[in-house]
Amino acid sequence: MAAKEPVKRVIQQVRPILSLDRDEARRRVLNLYKAWYRTIPFIVDKFDIPKSEEQCKSKLREMFLRHKEVSDVRVIDMLVIKGQMELKECTKQWKQKGHVMNYWQETVEPKPADFLSKFMSGQN
Amino acid sequence: MLSRSKLLFPSIARNIRCISKSATNLSDNLFVHRDTPEDNPNIPFEFDEENKRRIKAILNNYPEGHKRGAMIPLLDLAQRQVGWLPISAMHKVAEVLGLPNMRVYEVATFYTMFLRKPTGTYHVQVCTTTPCWLKGSDEILDACKRKLGIGVGETTKDMKFTISEVECLGACVNAPMIAVNDDYYEDLSVKDTEEILDSLAKGQQPKAGPRNGRFASEPAAGLTSLTTEPPGPGFGVQSGL
Amino acid sequence: MLRVPLTRAICLTHSSRVLVTASARLQSNIPAKAPEKVEVFIDDQPVMVAPGTTVLQAAAQIGVEIPRFCYHERLAVAGNCRMCLVEVEKSPKPVAACAMPVMKGWRIKTNSEMTRKAREGVMEFLLANHPLDCPICDQGGECDLQDQAMVFGSDRSRFTDIDHAGKRAVEDKDIGPLVKTIMTRCIHCTRCIRFASEIAGVDDFGTTGRGNEMQVGTYVEKLFLTELSGNVIDLCPVGALTNKPYSFSARPWEVRKIDSIDVLDALGSNIVVSTRTGEVLRILPRENEDINEEWLSDKSRFACDGLKRQRLITPMLRKPNGELEAVEWETALIGVAQAVQNAGDKVAAVAGSLVDAEQLIAVKDLLNRLGSELLCTEQKFPTADGTSGTDFRSNYLLNSSIAACEEADLVLLVGTNPRYEAPLLNTRLRKGYVHKEQDIALIGPKVDLSYRYEHLGNSSSIVQDIASGKHPFAQRLKSAKRPLVIVGANALSRSDGKAFLAGLHSFANQLTPEDKNWKVWNVLQTNASQVAALDMGYKAGVEEIVAAGPKVLFLLGADGGAINKDNIPKDCFVVYLGHHGDNGAPLAHAILPGAAYTEKQATYVNTEGRAQQTLVAITPPGMARDDWKIIRALSEVIGTSLPYDNLDEIRDRLEDVAPHLVRYGRLEENNFYAQAAQLAKLQASSLQGDIDVKQRTLADFFMTDSISRASPTMAKCVQAVKKAQATA
Repeated sequence: MAAKEPVKRVIQQVRPILSLDRDEARRRVLNLYKAWYRTIPFIVDKFDIPKSEEQCKSKLREMFLRHKEVSDVRVIDMLVIKGQMELKECTKQWKQKGHVMNYWQETVEPKPADFLSKFMSGQN
Repeated sequence: MLSRSKLLFPSIARNIRCISKSATNLSDNLFVHRDTPEDNPNIPFEFDEENKRRIKAILNNYPEGHKRGAMIPLLDLAQRQVGWLPISAMHKVAEVLGLPNMRVYEVATFYTMFLRKPTGTYHVQVCTTTPCWLKGSDEILDACKRKLGIGVGETTKDMKFTISEVECLGACVNAPMIAVNDDYYEDLSVKDTEEILDSLAKGQQPKAGPRNGRFASEPAAGLTSLTTEPPGPGFGVQSGL
Repeated sequence: MLRVPLTRAICLTHSSRVLVTASARLQSNIPAKAPEKVEVFIDDQPVMVAPGTTVLQAAAQIGVEIPRFCYHERLAVAGNCRMCLVEVEKSPKPVAACAMPVMKGWRIKTNSEMTRKAREGVMEFLLANHPLDCPICDQGGECDLQDQAMVFGSDRSRFTDIDHAGKRAVEDKDIGPLVKTIMTRCIHCTRCIRFASEIAGVDDFGTTGRGNEMQVGTYVEKLFLTELSGNVIDLCPVGALTNKPYSFSARPWEVRKIDSIDVLDALGSNIVVSTRTGEVLRILPRENEDINEEWLSDKSRFACDGLKRQRLITPMLRKPNGELEAVEWETALIGVAQAVQNAGDKVAAVAGSLVDAEQLIAVKDLLNRLGSELLCTEQKFPTADGTSGTDFRSNYLLNSSIAACEEADLVLLVGTNPRYEAPLLNTRLRKGYVHKEQDIALIGPKVDLSYRYEHLGNSSSIVQDIASGKHPFAQRLKSAKRPLVIVGANALSRSDGKAFLAGLHSFANQLTPEDKNWKVWNVLQTNASQVAALDMGYKAGVEEIVAAGPKVLFLLGADGGAINKDNIPKDCFVVYLGHHGDNGAPLAHAILPGAAYTEKQATYVNTEGRAQQTLVAITPPGMARDDWKIIRALSEVIGTSLPYDNLDEIRDRLEDVAPHLVRYGRLEENNFYAQAAQLAKLQASSLQGDIDVKQRTLADFFMTDSISRASPTMAKCVQAVKKAQATA
């Protein structure tokens, strides 16, 4: 019985990744958003993608809003880290044109769900 | 260089011991069967009447269930009948004993005295092991080869003689010697050898045994021990008894 | 226990055998006293063993493995490789562990200096004449010599060949299209010789010559013609005997090994499928004491190259001009569905010999939903009125189990040639014959069973005589302690098969074996699918379908020829569902490519009623799909979806129908013998004509189903056997 108590406490208080509370996490998200927002003109220019800045900005908004339901601070932090990585890949031009265009295009076909389409495609 | 290093490291040189292979000594026999016109399973073989009686007698020596013990005597009978052991004779022996052919092949190939290839009427076996060799078996072998015009392991065209070089036949004290079929000819000289081969070629049966006047394996220059009469009873017994 | 002279194994004469039998019987009648166990110490660990146990077995009991080459659990002890030398305290010389029975209080040291040196010495001598061709040797990676040289050999070599005299070399032998020989690699363990002599019963191998000249071979040029020849490949501890079709194709560490079940006969031998890059490279046996021990028949082992030839890889529909055209699945399914919908309830299905239980249940469910009960297997089994037919499971199973067959003391085989119909059952019978004084009699054509048997004749009137007790052999069966009657499925598929079944079954039930649970009545099935199909309620034989004249007929890999152009209506739409375009495919209007047994996870029930499952080793080629999924998809297109989408769900359905089908590896007890016999009253219809078997000689053995018929290796075997028979 006694041993359970500390275990419980550990489960309740997980170690933060970056942010201690929601406010801090929110600040990081906004910072990331701003950073992306400011980089968009350069991305459009450097990668020579057939998208306007406005389209990129709306895409950026869309990508952020995709995770608007996330409330776990640790998850938010993780997403922010991933976002920063993406951003770095764009600014350093580690990505190529196609990678950037992937934001607009889903290249992977969704897996078939029902039996018959699974059967036809030969996937289990 | 090598010798110097041996001098420098005598202990190492001593401790390296190699499995030294002597020249690969191979038997002149094949241990697989190849069909030839003289020897193939289609040539019929049958024991003659006398041998059939012998087989019956031999088989009676072995209890039921262990008849395969008679394999070597039976193979020997077959070999004596033909002069050598054709494959059809092995098959016949297998049939008599109720065994698979392979079991007979195994025995026939194991023993070198089963001759699995056509052999002359007189199988001249020249011993060339050390004692005979020291006493001049090389000359004897040469004499045989020269006389018969064939090499070791070969047979004369008339199928009368076959020469083989054999290892010790246990007659070292009468070296050099040759064995022709079952007979030992001992204490040979080149001349004796030629004589023996000559008379065999004429179909005569030369007398077996030593050729230098000895009766058997006694010392050639008379006895060197046990030369006196044996003492009578009571010899060396304490006088008080 | 040791070195029992296997007189019966090698004796061909009759007279000597009888006496041996009698004397051994005499001994066996004396009740054996329970022997006291003796204590020995292995590496100072005490272990209690029965007297007569060898050092090697005693060591194995506590998990100490002693290296060996010639010793094999299932073969007689030879003791000629000397690799198992161990030190025994107070013994001046090391002893050969495999052949030396332990004595009380022995202290055996398996890891001492003396043992180590002995092993190193033996290994050095073995390697002195073993070629260093591991890089081109097929055994590389699974070679006992390699492994043991690494573990027990010396770490340096003293072998010098400065004269370049070369090592000993031996001529290779040609022993057939299955086993490749490189005799220079042979280390003379004689395992192959003992296997051929004791288990296969073909005494063709032996050692010829002696000393350095000794060689293992056949002496005369002769093929190793037996249905079990592949097993010498597994037995060979070095690369002297290797798998000819598999040669130079892969290394053991690069293949994936998947446990599976063989379906080419009805025994369900356990196998390991080796695959690489989506190809089945070879099949090896997997140990299962209850079924195949560790052997495998040549067909099961070598027919695997038939899995990549003659395959159906796309669905096909017959065009109006009569040609088959490759189409997409969608088109094919719609085509078949239309035909089925137009047919109403005049739909039928015939199951062939390689069909799995999942497919059988899916087809059955589909046809039942369509209102049809016309589900049959290709092979007939007597079902007509008056006999219990397939209602009772005990009627069509090998009830006594495969393993128990070796325990019987008197066996009557009727209309079967177990040597080729079920080679591994035949090894059991031979084991019983050689080691356990089993006597065997056969009614049917005179064939070579690899052991002596009493041939009662091939007229079916003998069966009648035995059934009515008139025949003298019936009396012998009655007095036997553990009698067995094994009837071939092909004998029962005759038109008068019900008389066979009725007569022999009721006779078998009259017998009173010593053990009440001993089962006398046994049927040896020949098709892997038959038992599962009958368990599920398929009817045996296609008469009903022929009589009904269906509008749509599903052939589930039915290639046996029971259905042909003439016995189905002209307008019948035939759907062939299978993996090989064999005899059934030319009839078909639609072909749906299925998966072979290596390509699906599927359930098979063997002749003793044991359910086992195969696992997926490779994916089906081309557009081929799991068979039950094809039926499931078809049902959806027809509009009556079957209620299972994945394997678990269909297995739940299987369990609903017959729970034993999903209890893998277990043997379910059968029952209702008395009831079955009561129903099976001797028919008035009498037996006529002679009994025949389909597989008489080895040439008939190799090609019996669609997989082995597609296999080039099997074709080579048939050629080789025919050639050998022609010259012999």
